[in-house]
Amino acid sequence: MAEKSDVWQGTLALMVLKTLETLGPLHGYGIARRIEQTSGDLLVVRYGTLYPALLKLEQEGFISAEWGVSDNSRRAKYYALTRAGKKQLAKEAREWGQTSAIIARFISPAEEAS
Amino acid sequence: MNAIRAILYRLASLFDRRRRDRELAEELECHLQMEIEANLRSGMPPAEARRAALLKSGGVELAKEECRDRRGLPVLETTLRDLHHAWRFLSRGPVFALVAVLSLALGIGANTAIFTLLDQVVLRHLPVQHPGQLQMIWTTGPSLGSNQGSRASSYPMYQDFQQAPAFSYVFCRYLTPVSVSLASQTERVMGELVSGNYFQALGIAPALGRVFTPEEDDRVYKGHPVVVLSHPYWVERFGADPGVLGQKILVNNYPMVIVGVSAAGFSGIDAARSPQVRIPILMKPLMTAASDNLGDRRRQWVQIFARRKPGYTIESAQASLQPLLTGTLRAELESPALRETSKRNRDLFLARKILTESAANGYSSLPTSYSRALVALMCMAGVALLIACFNVASLLIARAAARQKELAMRLAVGASRGQLLRQLLMESAVLSTLGGALGLLLSVAMVRGLLHFLPANGMLTTLRAEPDWRIFAFNIALALVTALLFGLAPARQALKVDLWSTLKDAAGSVGGNRGSVTLRKSLVTAQVAFSFLLVSGALLFSRTLLNLKTTNSGFRDMDNLVTFQIDPARSGYSLTRLKDFYQRLLESLRSLPQVKSAGFAWVPLLSGREADWDVLVEGMPAEGRESQAWVNGLSPGYWRTMGVPMLEGRDFEDGDVNGRPKVAIVNRKFARDIFGNRSPIGLRIGLDTGRGAKADIEIVGLVEDSLYEGPRQGVRRQVFFPFPQMNQSVGAAFYIHTSTDSATMFATLRRNVAELDPTMPIYEMKMLADQLDETLGTERLTATLSAAFGILATLLAAVGLYGVMALTVARRTREIGLRMALGARQGALLWMVMREAFELYGAGLALGVPCAYLLGRYVSSQLFGVLPADLGTAVAALMALAMVTAGAAFVPARRASRIDPIRALHDE
Repeated sequence: MAEKSDVWQGTLALMVLKTLETLGPLHGYGIARRIEQTSGDLLVVRYGTLYPALLKLEQEGFISAEWGVSDNSRRAKYYALTRAGKKQLAKEAREWGQTSAIIARFISPAEEAS
Repeated sequence: MNAIRAILYRLASLFDRRRRDRELAEELECHLQMEIEANLRSGMPPAEARRAALLKSGGVELAKEECRDRRGLPVLETTLRDLHHAWRFLSRGPVFALVAVLSLALGIGANTAIFTLLDQVVLRHLPVQHPGQLQMIWTTGPSLGSNQGSRASSYPMYQDFQQAPAFSYVFCRYLTPVSVSLASQTERVMGELVSGNYFQALGIAPALGRVFTPEEDDRVYKGHPVVVLSHPYWVERFGADPGVLGQKILVNNYPMVIVGVSAAGFSGIDAARSPQVRIPILMKPLMTAASDNLGDRRRQWVQIFARRKPGYTIESAQASLQPLLTGTLRAELESPALRETSKRNRDLFLARKILTESAANGYSSLPTSYSRALVALMCMAGVALLIACFNVASLLIARAAARQKELAMRLAVGASRGQLLRQLLMESAVLSTLGGALGLLLSVAMVRGLLHFLPANGMLTTLRAEPDWRIFAFNIALALVTALLFGLAPARQALKVDLWSTLKDAAGSVGGNRGSVTLRKSLVTAQVAFSFLLVSGALLFSRTLLNLKTTNSGFRDMDNLVTFQIDPARSGYSLTRLKDFYQRLLESLRSLPQVKSAGFAWVPLLSGREADWDVLVEGMPAEGRESQAWVNGLSPGYWRTMGVPMLEGRDFEDGDVNGRPKVAIVNRKFARDIFGNRSPIGLRIGLDTGRGAKADIEIVGLVEDSLYEGPRQGVRRQVFFPFPQMNQSVGAAFYIHTSTDSATMFATLRRNVAELDPTMPIYEMKMLADQLDETLGTERLTATLSAAFGILATLLAAVGLYGVMALTVARRTREIGLRMALGARQGALLWMVMREAFELYGAGLALGVPCAYLLGRYVSSQLFGVLPADLGTAVAALMALAMVTAGAAFVPARRASRIDPIRALHDE
């Protein structure tokens, strides 16, 4: 069984924003589940990392929170992407793309020959 | 942007913390339930499902804690908590808190009060555009003519400086009192004659109408009968009526038109002597009937200011003026008036230097003396505050000793030293903030009191007691610095607790560990040193005041000398009419039964005003001697009225008028300086030293020395002329030697003047003794305040000393008891404690005496008749402090000598 690793704080925000963009308003459990599934169950999202991250995003105005009722009629807090959040997502995604491309060049020796 | 938003969010969440906690708990619970449900769906048994869910998601409480930290403002929350603790701690010892807050309030209040004055007198810039570019210009050396007022230049010199490339504007001013008549009412106000570019140079706009411009108001000699009112004068006198524009008023009996009102808040270059009206300087001959000296290079009377262009410094701008001046001086020496000047005077004349000074704060004849005094007082107040700080520090150390156990316990259960330090400092901050707030209130009261203290001329009118934001900022900053000063050392000391021994020792030691005693002793040493500084300073200033007060003025019976001033020239009197008026007034005054004698003088005495001329002495070349003499014009009978004895020759007589031989009286200092031991009677002198000057005035009298401007300036080398022979239509100060009390006399004198001319304004009516007192305003302020600071400091130091000695005795109770049991005498024990106190006293003096010597030199210009390192003063301060030390140490020493050995040994 592959070692499951905790999600990193920096990338968690990006994942949350992307999840909300893809799936629309969602509660904390749903977000955690979606991230774990998308990672192919390689990542574990714990309370202690997820909820502070959600709070931070809410404070910064990238997501908004509202109480609603879940599919199995449970009262749950739903998070939704705001306009500022969409912009932030685009920006972070672009930056992440650049970063990973740079890292990729360092890691793959084949490119170095040229 | 996001950061601000986040802070706001966090701030908001401080207020509904409970709701948010509940919601978070609900949200986490919901998460958990969903997890469990998912596990159940995948076929786990219920107990297993729950366990797996909990395991996977991590601790619920930990998550809550992290969210809470992120949600609120941890710094603010802990600060509030520290504040709460501090408040509880202080309210547990209300007496301690009260003493600490009060002594801080006195210290901070005194500092804030002095700063309020210092800020307004010394530090504040003029409320004009770019005040930093303003520069005042004047010259050194002899003018070979007359000087009026300080830092005066001639009007042509102002014109010369217009060519200076360093300045965008060069402007000039001349202050003179004027009579303003409006609807048959005449009043005296301060007038300022200004060059046409004055308002442009300062960047002052009109509040109404227009202000002067070089184009409109600086062209025609005597041709600009226009007036700009100051804003306060417009409001007070004209009820802020916009209809004043175009209104005609009489200024010195000359019809002029009001064309505008200057901007509100602008009080001029010299805030202490702010004019009510401004008049173009080309009107000078009409405003001062006595003299028309606009074009005369030998008459220096205007003050020149300039606005520097960017790129020049004060120094470079000053340097650029020097060639201009030297060139002009060289040309002047070729003029007919100076062609026959002596070699020595020519050299001195050519060596004249340009001097300049930043005028960002404006210029005042007063602040030069006030500012040094205020800086000295500010230092003294600062030292007094330090002493107060040390006392509070000492108290805090004592308190900390009493709560060693509490602190040790908290450290033991895991509080960090940083947390405790923060909390202890918070206690200091609360004390100093309370002290500062109370001090601010005190300072307003103190400044009000101080303003009553200053003489009622000039300064008083512009100084305000109400604090503005600068004062608030100073006060708050001072309170915070104070908190660190008295709080840090005790707090660090308190945290040096030895956990093991403190918690183990059930009884707890009295008064803390060894380190805290040493710290308190060094604080007391510093207090003694500072007290010595303040006490010796207070003594120096008090002796200065006393010396000035008791300086032999040369005048007799000043308590029965009434003086008042009139200026008929400003009411339009011609020279003949004015001379006649003075003569008739003198006769009518002398006819009053209460009047023993009366006389008048041109320059009022003891008012800081003076006139000095270069004089020529027959048969004595000007080479190698000072030619300057301080002059005055007098009526007959003046000397008898003032009680100054004639040593030789005669007084002026009614016959000393135009057409009769010109005569003069000289004082003893003049005779001694110029003629040595020879009798001056019959010798001849003349005015000015240039060409055409003749020694045509015969000295007919020699009079005893007396004061002129004031006691500080001392006796001048003086020459007096009969007023009628001076042919100047100027004001005069009358002196009346009376035999009744002044109050009834004032009314009688007013009636007397009114009988001759009911519209004649009378001003400055007072007793000569009071006039002398007024010249000593600065000195009295300094002496009184420094005495107050000295007493305050000494009392605080005494409290500090007492505290330390009481603590020492308490700590040594057992030792003392043992000594007693072994047969020590009471006297020896008394001495043992006293000796310890005097060791502190000695250490304090070792520090204080050299400091006092150095500081004394800084204020030496403020002193009079006493040296900065005066032995008597030092001894007096030593004695005073020795007595206070003995007093403060005696109570604990006595207690030590009365310790009951049985009980002392038993208690342990």
